[in-house]
Amino acid sequence: MTQMRLWGDAMWAIVRRDAILFVSYRSQLVAQFLGPLFTITLFYYISHILTDKTIRSPGGYFGFVVIGLVIVQILTVSLGVMPVTVRQELVSGTIERFLVSAHGPVNGILGTMLFPLINAVFSGVLMLVLAALVFGLPLATTALLAIPVSLLGVIAFMPFAFFLVSLVMAFKQAASATQFIVAGIAIIGGLYFPIAVLPGWIRWTSEVQPFTPAADLLRHLLVGAPLAHPALEELIKLVGFTLVLLPAGVLLLRAAIRYGQRTGTVAEY
Amino acid sequence: MSPTSVSAPVPSHPQTAAPTAARLLELEGLYHRWKGPKPPVLDDVSLTLRAGEVTWVGGRNGAGKTTLLRLAAGILLPQRGTVRIGELTPATKGGRYRRQIGFLSAGDRSLQARMRVRQQLDYWARLAYVPRERRAELVEVSLRRFGLEEFAQRRVDRMSMGQRQRIRLAMAFLHEPIVILLDEPRNSLDDDGYEVLAEQIERAVAAGATVLWCSPRGEDRVLTSDTGYTLENGHLERVE
Repeated sequence: MTQMRLWGDAMWAIVRRDAILFVSYRSQLVAQFLGPLFTITLFYYISHILTDKTIRSPGGYFGFVVIGLVIVQILTVSLGVMPVTVRQELVSGTIERFLVSAHGPVNGILGTMLFPLINAVFSGVLMLVLAALVFGLPLATTALLAIPVSLLGVIAFMPFAFFLVSLVMAFKQAASATQFIVAGIAIIGGLYFPIAVLPGWIRWTSEVQPFTPAADLLRHLLVGAPLAHPALEELIKLVGFTLVLLPAGVLLLRAAIRYGQRTGTVAEY
Repeated sequence: MSPTSVSAPVPSHPQTAAPTAARLLELEGLYHRWKGPKPPVLDDVSLTLRAGEVTWVGGRNGAGKTTLLRLAAGILLPQRGTVRIGELTPATKGGRYRRQIGFLSAGDRSLQARMRVRQQLDYWARLAYVPRERRAELVEVSLRRFGLEEFAQRRVDRMSMGQRQRIRLAMAFLHEPIVILLDEPRNSLDDDGYEVLAEQIERAVAAGATVLWCSPRGEDRVLTSDTGYTLENGHLERVE
């Protein structure tokens, strides 16, 4: 119990550290508000010229794409920011604190991921609120159920961040992989358009990652979009991906740190 | 630098540095080779640090002193050989091992630039798993011992290099480790800073800790050492 409290205190210390850093650069706060606002404004007007029949979401394409944008926002902030943050820790030498602390490098890096994730979820919620208040997106009565589902989705996405951070720890670079992964997920996850419009030979990829069920469930709960499969089936898929990918991601991260410690690359930048 | 070019270390803690003092950190047969066509920087290096002792390791730039310290701290894992404190090793019981270690790296890195000094120390105390009931006390004690009280609310990136070095030293000692590893600790310190550092080392070894001090030249030492070595061509040579 005491050990758990100490672990929790250390995790909180890392989140608080990152929050202090974030608010100390005030322009980031402004950018965090304006970025989502401009993005949904852009897609609101694009949606006026898109009337494809494959989009069966209430609110038309705007209702469909806003949920995709929320997920892309979460992915960009989490997958994009995390490897950069860890890379900065290597360059500034602050990762050394994790390497020599009782908390340890794996826990330290997991802790480093928490603030970007919290920030990403906040950005996603902000985007949704702006879409509802400014552009009149009709939210379904089941919208509150989206909270636990989105948290589950975020946990299911984390292994992808672990993969990128592992690359940083072992080889120092992950920027190109990050862009590749986020863009790839946006295509096969059906975030900007329904997967029904994808060619048949690539559509199977939408079934073997957690982003499609997460997007489908969130669309259903937030704007009442119909589901291609029963909700329970989508939920089981999401939980299944989480249970398989999360431990695998942690093991990969641990192995990457060990590799860096043996070869000495953990001390390089 | 040859072993004869450094001043011979003089025992500074004869009452606590007896040969039978408890072994704290044991490095045995350490081998480490960096990538590339270079010879190993450490080749079969063994060193035992005992309770109540100050050990100095010198050697020219690039001789492997920092690598040795990083291995001892558990930042790097040995490619060959063992590092242990009793039954604890960095690879198998890393958290408990690192709890015993206080580490100061060379240079001015590893500080959170935009945190205030007290926040920085509290942050470290939490990472070091200092129990809640002792955390505030140890942060205040560290501020006082390292002459940082008047800067407690100042942001780290607005402090001088010497003041930053004091914060880094405070973090190395804060959680009361039994093995203190210092890489060029006198960097940027003024005369008062030297005295503070010497006092804290004296205090730690008197309490039963051991200190390993690495610096290129023997003159960099604040305290005379119980034992001195130079590291050359991957091997440790004792300085008599």
